[in-house]
Amino acid sequence: MVDQTRREFLKLGLAAAASAVTASAIEIPMFGSQNSAMQTQLNNANTQVANLKNRVNTVVGFISLSVTEQSLLEKIVETIIPTDADPGAKEAGVIYFIDRQLAGDYGQSANMFMDGPFVPPAQTGPITVGTQTYAAGSPKVRVGAGTNYQYPLNLREFWRVGLIALQAYANSAYGGNFETLSSANQLQLLQDLWDSKPTSFSNILPSDFAYELVFMSWAGFLMDPIYGGNQNMVGWTFTGFNGVNFGNFYGEGHDQKALMVATTPTRLKPASLAQYQQQASGSS
Amino acid sequence: MPTTITEQPADVVVLGVGFMSGVIAAELSIASLNGGKDYKVVAITKGPYWDYVNDFSTTKYDEWGVGLGRKYDSPLPLQSATIRNTPQQFALPVRRYTMPIQYHALGHGVGGAAQHYGGTMGRQGPWGYQMRSRTDTRYPGKLDTINPHNDLEDWPLTYAQYEPYYVEWERAHGLCGNYNGSKTNSPSDTGYPWMSQNYPLPPAPLTPVGQLFQTATQDLGYNPFPHVSALASQPYINQYGVPVNPCVYDGYCGGPCDYACETGAKANAAYRTIPAAMKSGNFTLVVNSFIFRLDTDATSGLVTAARYYDPQGNVHIQPGKVFFNGMWGYNMIRIMLLSGIGAPYIWNSDPTLVTGAVGRGLTNGYTPYRGTNVSGTLPNNGGNSYPAGNGSGGSVDIYDLMDDNFDHASLNFIGGSHIGAGGYPGGGPGNITFAGGVSKASMGGPFKATQKDKYLPTKTTLSSTPFAPDLPTTDNYVDLDPHYTDLYGDPLARLTFDWTPNTYNGATYLVNIVKDIFTKMGASNVTVGSTVSAGAVHNDWWGHHLRGGCRIGTAPATSVWNKWNQCWSPVAKPVFNIFGAGEITNTSGDTVPSGTHQAGPQSYRAAEGIKQYLALLTPGLLT
Repeated sequence: MVDQTRREFLKLGLAAAASAVTASAIEIPMFGSQNSAMQTQLNNANTQVANLKNRVNTVVGFISLSVTEQSLLEKIVETIIPTDADPGAKEAGVIYFIDRQLAGDYGQSANMFMDGPFVPPAQTGPITVGTQTYAAGSPKVRVGAGTNYQYPLNLREFWRVGLIALQAYANSAYGGNFETLSSANQLQLLQDLWDSKPTSFSNILPSDFAYELVFMSWAGFLMDPIYGGNQNMVGWTFTGFNGVNFGNFYGEGHDQKALMVATTPTRLKPASLAQYQQQASGSS
Repeated sequence: MPTTITEQPADVVVLGVGFMSGVIAAELSIASLNGGKDYKVVAITKGPYWDYVNDFSTTKYDEWGVGLGRKYDSPLPLQSATIRNTPQQFALPVRRYTMPIQYHALGHGVGGAAQHYGGTMGRQGPWGYQMRSRTDTRYPGKLDTINPHNDLEDWPLTYAQYEPYYVEWERAHGLCGNYNGSKTNSPSDTGYPWMSQNYPLPPAPLTPVGQLFQTATQDLGYNPFPHVSALASQPYINQYGVPVNPCVYDGYCGGPCDYACETGAKANAAYRTIPAAMKSGNFTLVVNSFIFRLDTDATSGLVTAARYYDPQGNVHIQPGKVFFNGMWGYNMIRIMLLSGIGAPYIWNSDPTLVTGAVGRGLTNGYTPYRGTNVSGTLPNNGGNSYPAGNGSGGSVDIYDLMDDNFDHASLNFIGGSHIGAGGYPGGGPGNITFAGGVSKASMGGPFKATQKDKYLPTKTTLSSTPFAPDLPTTDNYVDLDPHYTDLYGDPLARLTFDWTPNTYNGATYLVNIVKDIFTKMGASNVTVGSTVSAGAVHNDWWGHHLRGGCRIGTAPATSVWNKWNQCWSPVAKPVFNIFGAGEITNTSGDTVPSGTHQAGPQSYRAAEGIKQYLALLTPGLLT
């Protein structure tokens, strides 16, 4: 089940934006000059409309995650980045980021080298691969390294079996589905995965799956909204990141070099890639 | 149905188009300007031509696409490499780009890896060219004590001999800086890279932290100088008449995600040397074409043609008189091994029984080392960790703690580290770096709280990971992998590498000196972090500044290229008509920032060598 609070939140967001964007961008061609105060005002209005459009265009709905995966993953990402006084994974739409990634190149492992043989790292040896025997096994590598992922599964499949194994572990070790556990137990279970505590886990190393869950959650919180997460740039507002506002996106007038050599920080309202491109192309 | 197409012969066929190849293409195609004749040059590269305005200006600010998708870099399904630490291990293939743990990515397209680098530069000092002989003279027996399987050699030329080529290379690429820390800046200074001519452009403005470092190191008796950067600090026109835009300081350039430059300010063959070749009318650029073999003539032994696949899978045969191997890193080695050019390195556990040169002497560059570090906090010195920044300018370096600029008699390592601080805080956002570096601790409310306003720091964290140079041993090398192939079915390069004791011994010593510098700068909580020893799991972060493995040298038995960067590695038939240069041809080096800057002079040397070779009546070795 999709969480009711988020549904309400999204509904409100959509309703607020929908009334404003019925008007298209306003242009006065004869006042094309940048010197016109009127044009500046209109440009500002157009920017506001564009911002609202962006909000309407934020991603909702699923194209890859199954119904059972949706409710499970939703609770996982909300455990990793909880909502408190500040927005968390829920408000950022982290689950939609992950869903879109699983449906696309990331899930298909499209930019990965996926030929066999598949030999796990950190084998103590001797091991035999094809006709060759290696006395010292395979190298130790850290989780997340490019040589660490040695599974004959694309990442979509990896997530599928990982989520199934996680739910099974929740039931065997904590006595119920992950969604039903207390928040303390939810966090504890994810920590178990990092420690590779589950002994049976769909033939993948639990810590490898934990890395992927946490990596993708934070990515969904902090990457550009163009990818479906970090909705309304809540992640960037939280961390104080400016996105592509280099000091003057909203007309703040900061000098780039002065910002660079300053010894006190300047908070800038973030701007997204889509906003930047709209501004660059002169459209709204 | 794919077919085989034979192209028109060229004088010079250039393999791969990065920094080194750009110089060859320009120097040969416009040679008549220097009183010679022009040569027909064909350059072939596996990726596209990137137009910085059209390709980068609106889509480069994409941390996810660049950082994990590596959308401007070499696709792994096309080709990867395998890595192991010892010859007794199975080598694991690099399967994915991850941040930040293994963010090494091969470049793709004209300009190669320079599309994504941070633009950091710096000459190698005189000692770096004679590490072997100078160490043996001053500290007899020391090298074998440090590394029992030591395989260090001198370069074939001295710093003084490379110096004029450095000047040409720096002019071509518009490097920014102000000398190199030498007190006298004359050839009598045998410890520092003196310069006959200053860098063509001034350094970028120093950051407040850079200024603090400058004052502190001066007070401690060191010789600070502005970090050398390849991001143009002013508008510039190089010796080929190619105009260069200056940096606009909006970040998203170097940094951990390695962004392309949308103004062309970041030096790159595509926007410095290749335009000169293009203008000559003697140059053909072949893009999206994957070179898979060099043909040799059974009678003469010479290379006759390069074979490549076009995107439709057709095989093209490109004949030529001379070939220049400008492929990056292990690919330079791989094409030689696949084509039977030069004697392949054959490892043996007994260092006296190893043979061959192609693949021998692999060492690692500077960034990948993850180990002993020192950090501290500068109060009241925060700022905008983003948005502003350029990839590599704004900081200050010292060379006093590298090379043999301090006494090593009682130390268990040679060389040292360039130390610097104060790079512009921007350069590239750190979101993907952070996300990729997640751990068990990166979950839950208390951790989340530590991330609030992290881009608005009110204090600066200083951090340094110094280490002494990685030295060639007989146990670190490149060969062909027996299990994995590229998209077309040819074996991948296999890298066998582990850090040598010189590296971490040096780190353990140097962190304490850096600690004193940080303290002098006014930092609090200056602490030394974890130490690293042999066999530690720190070999997964590496690969993007490989050096050696296809080195120039003083003897054909142990090196691939001679002092003209001409192939002299003995095989059944010597192959005189192939030259090569790149980081991977560096014989050795101390930890100056960029192996590219050390390689640069070799490209001008090779260009001269190729012209001399083409003038020979009978093919042979240049002397």
